[in-house]
Amino acid sequence: MGYRLAMALIFSVILIVLDVRFSQLDPVRNVLSSSLTPFQWLSDFPQKLGNGITFIFASREELEAELDVMRDRMLVLERQSQKLASVTAELNRLRELLSASRLLDEGVVVTELVGASPDPDNQYILIDKGLSDGVVVGQAVLDENGLMGQVIEVNEFRSRVLLISDNRHAVPVQVNRNGMRAIAYGVGSLDYLELGNVPDTADVQVGDLLVSSGLGGRFPRGYPVARISRIEHHPGQAFATVNAKPEAHLNRSRLLLLVFKEKEVRAVSSADIANELGNLEAAEGVDQGAERVIESAGEEMR
Amino acid sequence: MTRPISWFVVALTFVIAIILELVALPDMFSALRPEWLVLTQTYWLLRRPDKIGIASAFAIGIVMDVLTGSYLGIHSLALCIVSYLVLGMHKRFRMYPVVQQAFVLFLLTGTQLMIVYGLRATLSVAENGFDYLWQAVISAFVWPILILIYDRLSFTFR
Repeated sequence: MGYRLAMALIFSVILIVLDVRFSQLDPVRNVLSSSLTPFQWLSDFPQKLGNGITFIFASREELEAELDVMRDRMLVLERQSQKLASVTAELNRLRELLSASRLLDEGVVVTELVGASPDPDNQYILIDKGLSDGVVVGQAVLDENGLMGQVIEVNEFRSRVLLISDNRHAVPVQVNRNGMRAIAYGVGSLDYLELGNVPDTADVQVGDLLVSSGLGGRFPRGYPVARISRIEHHPGQAFATVNAKPEAHLNRSRLLLLVFKEKEVRAVSSADIANELGNLEAAEGVDQGAERVIESAGEEMR
Repeated sequence: MTRPISWFVVALTFVIAIILELVALPDMFSALRPEWLVLTQTYWLLRRPDKIGIASAFAIGIVMDVLTGSYLGIHSLALCIVSYLVLGMHKRFRMYPVVQQAFVLFLLTGTQLMIVYGLRATLSVAENGFDYLWQAVISAFVWPILILIYDRLSFTFR
């Protein structure tokens, strides 16, 4: 028996080292994980059942009330999005004037939560989209209120999403009010994130909204992440302790949004567009003013 | 104690144990989750030490690693060590009164949890105290009930 134990221990240690240091084991893990999908499905079953039962026993009045609330919310949101289109167009025009890169809107796909971490020290969730839906490692995941986390592992039908509250996670943010940049670290608690290295004199106030700054290149820019909940100044120390409460409902949301970047963000200046279209037009033998070209290019890009 | 066992029941109990380890619970209960896998593994190992042993512990550990997304090998390492300890004392263990069995189970699950959490803490930045030992306490309390249920199950599906 001692011999078998020694074999098993050696093999386990080799596996651990391989998995920590190298990525050769990833295909193995993907295959295993895909074939073990039924387990994940079954472990989510009790919760699904619970939801189903509450739905069956929900009274008609409750459902009607819920429907009314949703209709109201939809009206409010639609009013906001009416203005959004024109504002975005105007913003892009202004950015073109500055020769800055155009803001690309990301596409989102709705996905459902199918499992959560059994271990509070290891905060991840599982979603029901995988390789077969084009999910890749590093994609951002949102709920309707803000940023939830990022995809860290993909198998054929499922993906594992590391929450922003996990203590291995950090997200670059900026204060929406004044643009001050910071990094929000997860601490393993669903209730708050910690802002790292905020100078004692920095202009942050309780209640400030933190949005993703997009600086790491991993998260799209401008999604709400957290709201400052506590600031503590320590006399004699350079940095203040700043906590922020995540905006997303990390442990409640079931319907989530998976962000797909339309394409790599590249600098598109008006000059580039004029050039490109100029070449095109020259080939067709049509002569047009550069101004018009920029305008139509703007329209096309939209 | 070496009555024949049905492999269907063995597989069934392991599947249920894995699912119980994965089911999402509110934070409060999640910190008190018994280590179903260690209990199940110990039970079947005591029933058939010739068939259930370190190899099966290793396989189940790998399954657990994949499902929880931890580094491959952590759970299998811990489960193999625990199985080895049980194998070393399975003849005596059966003679123990149930209270003493539960206490030994506390030590075994404690060992398993310490290995898993210790390795995880060394390999990543996770930091935690020894709160997880409550899981070992709960496991010890669950053991007598679990024996009853598993005995009944394997009696029904002989």
